[in-house]
Amino acid sequence: MSWGRRLRILYQAIFLLLFLWLLDRLAHGDLHDLPYAAFHHADPLSMIALSFAAGVIPGAMIWGLVLIGLTLIFGRFFCGWICPLGTLQQLSSWMLSPRSRRESLTVNRYRRWYATKYGILVFLLVLALAGSLQAGLLDPLSVLARGIGAAVWPVLPGGRSLPGGWLAAGLLFGILLASRWIPRLFCRAFCPLGALLGFFARFSLFRIHREAAACTDCQLCTVACQGADEPLGEHRVGECVVCLNCTVSCPEHAITYGLLPPAPPAPDRPDLSRRWLLGSAIAALVVGPVVEATGGGRSAARPDLIRPPGALPEPEFLERCVKCSLCQQACPTGAIQPAIFQAGVEGFWTPVIVPRRGWCEYTCTRCGEVCPTQAITRLTPARKTGTDGQPPVSIGTAFIDRGRCLPWGMDTPCIVCEEMCPTDPKAIWLEPVTVRRSNATPVRLQRPHVDPSRCIGCAICENRCPVGSAAAIRISSTGETRDPLNNMLLPRPTQGERPQ
Amino acid sequence: MNDPYRHPIDRREALLRISAALAAGGAVTAGGIFFHDRRIVSPSARPVPDWRTDEAHLPPGVIARGSDPAANVRRALDALGGVDRFVARGHTVLIKPNVGWDRLPEQAADTNPQVVAELVRLSLAAGARRVIVADISCNDPARSFEHSGIGPAARAAGAIVLVGPKIRLVRTRTGGPAAGLEVMEALLDADRVINVPVVKQHSLSLATLGMKNWFGVLGRGRARLHQNINHSIAELAATFRPTLTVIDATRILTANGPQGGSLADVREVHALAAGIDPVACDAWGATLLGLEPRRVGYIAAAEGRGLGRADPRLLEDLGTA
Repeated sequence: MSWGRRLRILYQAIFLLLFLWLLDRLAHGDLHDLPYAAFHHADPLSMIALSFAAGVIPGAMIWGLVLIGLTLIFGRFFCGWICPLGTLQQLSSWMLSPRSRRESLTVNRYRRWYATKYGILVFLLVLALAGSLQAGLLDPLSVLARGIGAAVWPVLPGGRSLPGGWLAAGLLFGILLASRWIPRLFCRAFCPLGALLGFFARFSLFRIHREAAACTDCQLCTVACQGADEPLGEHRVGECVVCLNCTVSCPEHAITYGLLPPAPPAPDRPDLSRRWLLGSAIAALVVGPVVEATGGGRSAARPDLIRPPGALPEPEFLERCVKCSLCQQACPTGAIQPAIFQAGVEGFWTPVIVPRRGWCEYTCTRCGEVCPTQAITRLTPARKTGTDGQPPVSIGTAFIDRGRCLPWGMDTPCIVCEEMCPTDPKAIWLEPVTVRRSNATPVRLQRPHVDPSRCIGCAICENRCPVGSAAAIRISSTGETRDPLNNMLLPRPTQGERPQ
Repeated sequence: MNDPYRHPIDRREALLRISAALAAGGAVTAGGIFFHDRRIVSPSARPVPDWRTDEAHLPPGVIARGSDPAANVRRALDALGGVDRFVARGHTVLIKPNVGWDRLPEQAADTNPQVVAELVRLSLAAGARRVIVADISCNDPARSFEHSGIGPAARAAGAIVLVGPKIRLVRTRTGGPAAGLEVMEALLDADRVINVPVVKQHSLSLATLGMKNWFGVLGRGRARLHQNINHSIAELAATFRPTLTVIDATRILTANGPQGGSLADVREVHALAAGIDPVACDAWGATLLGLEPRRVGYIAAAEGRGLGRADPRLLEDLGTA
């Protein structure tokens, strides 16, 4: 009777392919409005951590409730049936390691240190309460999305390189490789989402049940077990990923998965001491404020911290960004890069715009459209460019380095920045001058100037500036719409005010 | 499906387990709905209250002269109908002197401490629950409050002195040039506000007086207001409407303002003006610096906006005590 397992494998295949397909469409410029963030919207770890950090569950993140509700009914089926990272681990375990039954029996036993994941969960949630949202670093959906964005797309033909991507690729490969020795090691021991669902699974109505009278203690169930939840002994509901391998492997048909099985639920406390959990909580309370105060992320605006258009003010942004990398993969020019140092310790892997790698396309609003948590708010092209009558959304201001600029410093004609400038009227304007070169020949130049009240910091000028290495026109975050204080200029008088 | 090994469980047990799951689900759902989209994305901003009292029958202001600054304050307020007209029992009063600089009272870069202390005493005597003295200094705030004498004098008179990190800043719904700037929260919490500037020369706006003194309630970013200073000061004056303006001219700084330093730039006037018309009060202060009031850009702009009348003759001169 293996219909349950076959169905599970079908589900796993469908959800893995769906995840990869959505990511592929996102990263390769499909202009259709697909539900790119669907998996992340249903992620209860992000939902709960976000509500702890920001005091809010934005928009579609409320779908996480559905997954919690289903977990209360079916147990950790998400891990065994849906989670694409779980599926990939199962796949790599199956491909990399032909284990004997004896070996399988050993590696599929529960170990006390598998409770580490509960410590990680408590650490991340208390850290979120203390104001620093880091749950995304170990969230399996973000781990996989980041890993694919870093390890797969860049190496495909035509892919764009991603400096720093090796960190995300390394984490993904490490997780997959670990399954060579212990199947689903990440799920069993480290996954904070698995720990969260495991907590809710303790209430689940559908469970694995072993009829002791029929059991011959052959241990074939343990040999096949994915979650190391020991269906043979006191079944650990919080560890079980509902792979149903045990029901299939039992020669006596003594193991079933069904509604409200008869035996009273075994005392299914996760095997961990209170001291451990308390330690994790205290560690988070110590680490959180130190990282906030010394990590260098929130303090006065950093010149190279250019956030995507529509991003919230920095403290609110850090309370919401789950580092899923969707905006980075959605950016058509490759301007959005993961922050390695630019955003401080807390902002590691949050999105920043790196002008020499790409620019913010004038009417493009994709990053905000895919952001699952609205850390980057949704803009319309009219709102972004200011054609709706409000001031345009600015992410910074361009500054000309006159020593490096060809017309300013080298008496050489060039107008590339002005030509590229997308605003109307252009933020970069040209001043015609005639100067004499060293050999006394006169040369007519057009020297660029920036009108900071028009500049939106889109960075196409810096991206296209012909001066190599450091460009002769560079973007700095001052003037960004999201932080009125990071603005050197007085706001322009609106109608009804009379400037003196 | 007929499974020989499945035994039914009793109803009580089934109900217990289902209700545990329902309770868990209900708790999480309630939490989820509670948190869902509760906060508006943009940071909350507070409105700025209007601290004026309706005292239309009073003169717009009075001038008191004499060598004792505290006596000048008492005489001026008595002539305006007494402090009880402005401060009632239980009020929180915020007094905003100019404590911009780490200077001594003799250098006239900050408001005279005796003037501030007397205002504190009068407010408390009128029944104020709390009197707060606060300013966001340009120099180190602790040194500025200490050396100007305002910190010790105000504390001795019974005020709560807010200095440096004790000042909490909040966003306000101000428009115009100050849009997006933060304002000291204690100001927005106050029931009554008394603006107590000192008369000083200023290179860009010509004179630092009462309306210019609002710079001191603003946080980071106020420096950019200098790009359009007359418009900005008029805008601040339209945003912050004090109960009372007291222009301290015990000593005035006639050059090298607004921080001065040399006693040669200080002139002893031994006078002060108090009034409910901030523009008229500033106009009087401007004349002390030898300026025609309407030639001072922000005074003309404030008058043009209907915030008061730029005529020093509207103030009644009480003469020397």
